[in-house]
Amino acid sequence: MTALVPSPAEVVEGESRYDRLIQPARVHGTLYTDPSIFAEELRKIWHKTWVFVGHESEVPEPNDYVRKQLADQDVVMTRDKDGEVHLLINRCAHRGLQVCDDKAGNSSSFRCPYHGWTYRNTGELLGYPYNKGYGGKNKLELGMGKVARVASYQGFVFGSLAQEGPSLEEHLGAAKGEIDRLVGLSPEGKVSLDAGWLRHQTKANWKFLAENETDGYHPQFVHGSIFGVAGSPIGALYSDNSTAVTRALGDGHSENDLRPEFRTFDEPMRWFGTTPDKVPGYLASMAESYGEDAHRRTVEGAPHVMIFPNLFIAEIQVFNIQPVGVGECVQYSTAVQFAGGHELNMRMVSQSIGSVGPAGMLLADDTEMYERNQRGVEMADPEWLDVRRGLVRETVDEDGFTIGAATDETAMRGFWSHYKSLMEADA
Amino acid sequence: MNDEMHAVGEGPRHEVTLDEGAAGATVPAGRVVESEFASVAVRLDEQGNSVRLRVEDLRSGRVRFLDALELETVVWLEDGHLTQLLDPSHERWRG
Repeated sequence: MTALVPSPAEVVEGESRYDRLIQPARVHGTLYTDPSIFAEELRKIWHKTWVFVGHESEVPEPNDYVRKQLADQDVVMTRDKDGEVHLLINRCAHRGLQVCDDKAGNSSSFRCPYHGWTYRNTGELLGYPYNKGYGGKNKLELGMGKVARVASYQGFVFGSLAQEGPSLEEHLGAAKGEIDRLVGLSPEGKVSLDAGWLRHQTKANWKFLAENETDGYHPQFVHGSIFGVAGSPIGALYSDNSTAVTRALGDGHSENDLRPEFRTFDEPMRWFGTTPDKVPGYLASMAESYGEDAHRRTVEGAPHVMIFPNLFIAEIQVFNIQPVGVGECVQYSTAVQFAGGHELNMRMVSQSIGSVGPAGMLLADDTEMYERNQRGVEMADPEWLDVRRGLVRETVDEDGFTIGAATDETAMRGFWSHYKSLMEADA
Repeated sequence: MNDEMHAVGEGPRHEVTLDEGAAGATVPAGRVVESEFASVAVRLDEQGNSVRLRVEDLRSGRVRFLDALELETVVWLEDGHLTQLLDPSHERWRG
């Protein structure tokens, strides 16, 4: 048969490679399997845009540090003696050795074990042994590498390896409001992510995760077992009868907004799967801090938001997704902890362990889907993934955001639209 | 005092015992303060006429006693000065 339609990999004059691969109702399978596309993603997305790295609460004291990932870069998040947070590239300026090896520590300076070159925890080189070989002290204009731009929002620390680009607040856009919503459930208006991170190695392309986080179509199927065992009312929120909406927040961010359902019930803590009598101390603290508005906050609950490209806030827990290769990524997860919310915090840790812990019943199911998805797209035919669900009933809300029903693929289409714009930009 | 004077590099062998309920370890030379970059043991020494802090570099066995005035001086060192002392070629690896 003569091919009348060019293969998706072929570039046609006047069209970008991504015009062919990313279409309004379908995306091509090679986006998840082609190593050259992954290499381009590193350059145009992971080394350029703002990427979530960690939280300020992980380095609470001056001179604390933790090892983190920023895509393929091993990064040391430090807090200097003056309290400022830095993201250093974990590489000695002398021979390129990895300087820090421990996962975390407290030190004002880092000494490379190879030849003793020593750096401040701001990355500045403060000395090297036997200085006569360099003509004396302070003769070298070298230091550890730094993530070009570091900024935080509500304690969430992001890094961008590009010297220039949109500010963090511009990047977050409407997603800022979702982070504010989370923080607004703390009686003290502050969250910490210091309960410890679980590390889930996943043999799948990172985009399967980013798309799945706000896919309201899968929960009833993939998570039927945990909903059944826990007697959770959450499953019913992801059905065609639900008043919940899927919202594309722009810039690749998206959410499953379950508030319409929770407002109908008007029951505080329903979002958390519990009742007020189980957490009276927390609700009293919320009422003390926020007065009448405490009721609305505790009825509407925490956000379910995917912040492009790698921060997923899933009500009670946070995921940090980092790519490893075209067919592999790591999901780091931790329980959210509310300042002043001790009674709820213990429950959030145990719920997180139950859902994403080593024997947890939620993430293991998702990860099984991710890995089978990766194996599936490596097959030749059909070449495309369908993302049209809900196109027939999409609308625009009062804030100008595209919304679909609870089970629609509105969020995926928003993701791909932003992804395409980044991949088509000059490197 | 001679038992304190280990040759540099010899590296004493201490029996490490974990304190119940504490994050740190204890060796005969005291409580261990350590990171991936250095490991020292500290304890109060009462052999002199007034108390001193005994600090042992567990990687080399070298010992330093710091009296109250010396410790106060460390507290008051300007950060810039302390940073100069952290330069490996300042003392130990001068060459």
